[in-house]
Amino acid sequence: MSHTLVSLACHAYGIAAVVYLAYLVRQSEALATAGRVLVGGGLALHGVALFELLGVQSGRPVGLAQGFSALAFLLLAIFLFLDVRYRRPVIGAFLTPLALAALLPGLLLQGGQAPLPPGVRQPLLPLHITLALVGLAAFAVAAGVGVMYVLMERQVKAKRFGLLFSRLPSLEFLDTLNRRLVVWGFMALSITLATGAFFVGTAPGPWTVDGKTLATLVAWAVFAALLVARSVAGWRGRRVAFLTMAGFCLVMVSFLSSYDVSSPSAATLGMP
Amino acid sequence: MELICIGLSHRTAPLNVRERLALPESRQVDVLQRLAQAPVEALWVSTCNRVEVYLFAPDAAMARQRALTELQVLGGVEALEHLYEHQGEAALVHLFRVACSLDSMVLGEAQILGQVKEAFERGQGAGAVRGELMRACAAAFSCAKRVRTETAIGRAATSMAAAAVQLASKVFDGLAGKTVLVVGAGEMGELAARHLKQAGASKLYVTNRTLSRAEALAAEVGGQARPFEDLLGLVAAADVVVCSTASQVPLFTRDNVGALGRGRRGRPLFMVDLAVPRDIDPAVGTLDWVHAYDVDDIQKFVADNAAARAEEAQKAGVLVAQEVARFVKERALREGTPVLARLRQRAEAIARSEVERTLGALGDGLNDKQRKSIEAMGRAIVNKLLHEPTARLRAVGPEGEGNRLAGAAAELFGLLEEEVGTAAAAPSGMATPVQVATGGK
Repeated sequence: MSHTLVSLACHAYGIAAVVYLAYLVRQSEALATAGRVLVGGGLALHGVALFELLGVQSGRPVGLAQGFSALAFLLLAIFLFLDVRYRRPVIGAFLTPLALAALLPGLLLQGGQAPLPPGVRQPLLPLHITLALVGLAAFAVAAGVGVMYVLMERQVKAKRFGLLFSRLPSLEFLDTLNRRLVVWGFMALSITLATGAFFVGTAPGPWTVDGKTLATLVAWAVFAALLVARSVAGWRGRRVAFLTMAGFCLVMVSFLSSYDVSSPSAATLGMP
Repeated sequence: MELICIGLSHRTAPLNVRERLALPESRQVDVLQRLAQAPVEALWVSTCNRVEVYLFAPDAAMARQRALTELQVLGGVEALEHLYEHQGEAALVHLFRVACSLDSMVLGEAQILGQVKEAFERGQGAGAVRGELMRACAAAFSCAKRVRTETAIGRAATSMAAAAVQLASKVFDGLAGKTVLVVGAGEMGELAARHLKQAGASKLYVTNRTLSRAEALAAEVGGQARPFEDLLGLVAAADVVVCSTASQVPLFTRDNVGALGRGRRGRPLFMVDLAVPRDIDPAVGTLDWVHAYDVDDIQKFVADNAAARAEEAQKAGVLVAQEVARFVKERALREGTPVLARLRQRAEAIARSEVERTLGALGDGLNDKQRKSIEAMGRAIVNKLLHEPTARLRAVGPEGEGNRLAGAAAELFGLLEEEVGTAAAAPSGMATPVQVATGGK
């Protein structure tokens, strides 16, 4: 049942991606509305599937496939919120393909789930995972917006008044959106780290710094430095966009290292 | 007499070539006085997008050569490579199109008409625009008025200043809360200030070398005037700078703008240079936080929007063709009438002298009635002889065939030689209707 719903949602997202790319070429309110409806419909189907799935899994996605699926869901939910709030449908041309790319492994890796190790059966676990995924999705959107910023800045600097120049939002808007998304993502990441540290503190046995923990800590430090540099030194623009992309890559490494990607059929959920 | 136009514009010449020919007003007057030696008339149109000289001369080749020499001296040999030329009716059409803003960087922009009018007034002041060129300009201005009222080109168009505001919207998410600085309180500065204020700029500073002009403009658009000496301080506080001064050297260089970077803490600066010669050194744009655009960049930008205005421009083009045709007709009528009048004068003079000779030969043997009959016969012969050519000339109209017939009549009856003799006697030499009538444009 949930697989069918996700598959339907995936089709809706796919058509939405085509619609938003068409919007990039030919700006029309009808296309923007169609994109919004398709993403909204896809999210509803996807949400039902996730709700159903997580209900039987104590509120947590299990395995890389579900992780990616939940990431795509949150990424598109953030996008839809931004689209409704700021009415900049062109962002969809960049984010819907990204969400589709995140969903594909979910469809390909369907089924690879493993039982949760007994040491991580914590009541706070669903919150920890949800916030980690929200943070990751926020950083993914921020990185997508960062790509848009870099593209737009190139057009503005090179004075190329082509399609991207006429369609992309202003540099200031993209930079401000990037800042807001990074702040949200950073807050989610900080709480994820805090709950993770709590799990480690309460777990039996010695604590060791693995690759995932290291990547998460470095990503947190990158985003913390970025926010400080923004408010204290006035950093903005291209430099911040590139740092956001780098930070997103680190968080992605942390996300991927939560799973045993070498053996999808035996994907296991790790802990910070 | 023929109208010729020689010039270069944004279509043919890069900014650095146009800059060399962008002369201050006093030098324009000097050039005009050199070019417009009677009977030649001259008009020097100089905007940030074009430099054109219009000449109305009996010897087009000589006038053209003189203009080319002048342009080469001012703009160097390179300038000659970018020139275009129009002659006769094509030159007239070009003048009309320029005045109607159909040849502008931004189709239908309003400033060009004002700029051509200024050039016209300057030409009149210098005594370079007198007769036919004055009438041509007046017709072009009235055509521009018609185009503006009868087509939507004015409404569809964006001025250079409006284009600058649109460009700013690609850097900033609206101008609310932004500080804007307008450097130069001329016509372009005024338009820029109005557009920026209309776009929602929160703070608008105007600076100008003559503070009183800045104050006048600031009062008009709801901004604040600031002394020109504070220029860099004002830029430090600004988000958008639009300059359009007549300065012959750049006001902003990479060094003096770059020095403001530390204080701005990465805050972007959008600079638009509507001046030619440029107020902003191109190197300023290489600063990471500065987005600098000059008039050529704006041309590139508006080229994308040109399609939307193409339809209106087409309608305007039809109006221009109508107005040019009307002007040509009126001119030919104006100048063709003397051919008939002179022909009649000549014929009447011949008839009179022959009647007098005949009456003299017949002596006193004629009574009054007979005398009057002979005089009436002379007039009747003139009338009968001239009736057909007069009717035909009027029937075919002044254009094309009409011009040819009038010219042929002038030549057949020796009116041309008579006119040249008159012109040689009169130093102004501008009233040369026969030649104009025969030569068309």
